[in-house]
Amino acid sequence: MNAFVTDKTLAPAGELEPAEREELLRVDNVSLSFGGVKAITDISFDILKGEIRAIIGPNGAGKTSMLNVINGFYHPQEGTITWRGKVRRKMKPYEAASQGIARTFQNVALFKGMTTLDNIMSGRSLKMHRNFFWQVLWRGPAENEEIEHRRKVEDIIDFLEIQAIRKTPVGRLPYGLQKRVELGRALAMEPELLLLDEPMAGMNLEEKEDMSRFIVDVNQEFGTTIALIEHDMGVVMDLSDRVVVLDYGKKIADGPPEEVQASQAVIDAYLGVSH
Amino acid sequence: MFYREAGQFKTSYKADQALMPILQDRVGLTVILLIAFVAIPAFANDFFLTSIMIPFLVFSLAAIGLNVLTGFCGQLSLGTGAFMGVGAYAAYKLTTIFPDANVIVMVLLSGIFSAAIGAVFGLPSLRIKGLYLAVTTLAAQFFLEWCFIRIPWLYNYNASGAIEVPHREAFGVVVSGAEATPIVRYFIVLCITVAIAYLMANVLRGRIGRSWMMIRDMDIAAELMGIRPLQTKLMAFAVSSYICGVAGAMMVFFWLNAAEPSSYSISLSFQILFMVILGGLGSLGGAFMGAAFIWILPVFLKFIPGTLGIDVAAETVEHVTFMIVGALIIFFLIVEPHGFARLWQIGKQKLRVWPFPY
Repeated sequence: MNAFVTDKTLAPAGELEPAEREELLRVDNVSLSFGGVKAITDISFDILKGEIRAIIGPNGAGKTSMLNVINGFYHPQEGTITWRGKVRRKMKPYEAASQGIARTFQNVALFKGMTTLDNIMSGRSLKMHRNFFWQVLWRGPAENEEIEHRRKVEDIIDFLEIQAIRKTPVGRLPYGLQKRVELGRALAMEPELLLLDEPMAGMNLEEKEDMSRFIVDVNQEFGTTIALIEHDMGVVMDLSDRVVVLDYGKKIADGPPEEVQASQAVIDAYLGVSH
Repeated sequence: MFYREAGQFKTSYKADQALMPILQDRVGLTVILLIAFVAIPAFANDFFLTSIMIPFLVFSLAAIGLNVLTGFCGQLSLGTGAFMGVGAYAAYKLTTIFPDANVIVMVLLSGIFSAAIGAVFGLPSLRIKGLYLAVTTLAAQFFLEWCFIRIPWLYNYNASGAIEVPHREAFGVVVSGAEATPIVRYFIVLCITVAIAYLMANVLRGRIGRSWMMIRDMDIAAELMGIRPLQTKLMAFAVSSYICGVAGAMMVFFWLNAAEPSSYSISLSFQILFMVILGGLGSLGGAFMGAAFIWILPVFLKFIPGTLGIDVAAETVEHVTFMIVGALIIFFLIVEPHGFARLWQIGKQKLRVWPFPY
């Protein structure tokens, strides 16, 4: 998988050193608790434009909660989120989606009753504007709009190589393909920031390699910034530009993969340490 | 062998996303429409029209209405009967207030009132889901039924407390009231039902229909993809109630001629819900199949003893009909819990590969 690292140096985004890149998103001193349970405590980090940023940590470290804060599903009690220069305390899911944050879910959250095509088309919802009366008539503007977006969706279907399952209800697809369709659905939103919550969970080696390839391609070809939660350390270390490590809701390390790998705090968190 | 898409190539997305991309489907639909518009009016007697076809179409439309809400948007509702009643009473009041207006237009407008009321009773759906939502729509059912009884203005202070359809003419033909001929009523009901079914098919395959299905299948993911749950759900409630309202208005104007509050009781809600469940949640064709099963089958069953010359008391026939229909409902739900629409899909799949098993 080392080939990925070499590829990245050729990419347009990769030409810039991390320090020179523009900041896309920053969370400052965010704390989130559910009643007495502190899910996230005073976490700050940033995501630069065009990078692949990994968020790792043991189970229950608050990684998914962090993504939920970023795309507005949870509202933190303290701290701010800076998205493209605008500081805010909380975001609504609708705002986050319309401003270019898309995500996939740890447990596949596809629309089970709909076909692959409809699932990916659903990612275009925010970009389609014909109102109810045009939709009722169908002929004319609504149909043209549908066709125009269908073209974009077909590009994504080609990119992910899922042409054959275009008209299959996603409930019938195997798990690996469902994950791929979910990535396609997020891509259909043409996001600036793509949040991937364990995109490779439960996959075999081959599927992981495919998925890694798609993630790198998305990052390089479309210039999409990616925040990635993943437990497979090989994948994380190969793909990501920078890694932030959480443990029990606290940030314990932040930096390039090699640096994080060598950090004693991270080793302790993963291997456990005698008190 | 007879039903397959092999050889029917699509060269544009437009052709690919047509309502019926397969030729055989289009032929089938044309045949059904020809039967409905030509054969039935030409050969059917008055009894067949008034007791079978008109109620069947009215119930089909109501089932489409409920299917939009429950089958496509995933919001369970037990208030269908009441929303139909709102349409009926609104149409009645409209014809009283505007005596010269075309009654068909009034029936179509009356749906707007039930859409508004449906949207109001849809407000709890933001917080309440599933069976609990069904209970809140039950509140709508009882409250609205109470209104039909206790607000005399709604039935023009009639001594009977019922609404009676006034005699109205349009385009030189009697369209409502006791003198209207079954054939005229049938054509009105058929045109409205077919038109609304077609328009709904358009909505359901586009962005709005997809947003409803997104809410149904995975509301959290839908929200994170920029669907605003409240607006989407309220729209489903409004559209569903509009269709139910029109069906309710047609029920009294073109079928029953008169209606009292008990015509729109909870049992009507359940009847429509069963049509939707049996026909198949999330299928327009299923709404028609469900309505046919629940309405037409019992009527036919009641005629079997008479035509075979078996001498049984009318009550016995009635009871046996109930038992047979009930048993068949259980049978079909065991065979295919997803309803007739799914059976039809399976049947089509079998036709595709016929004469081979797979």
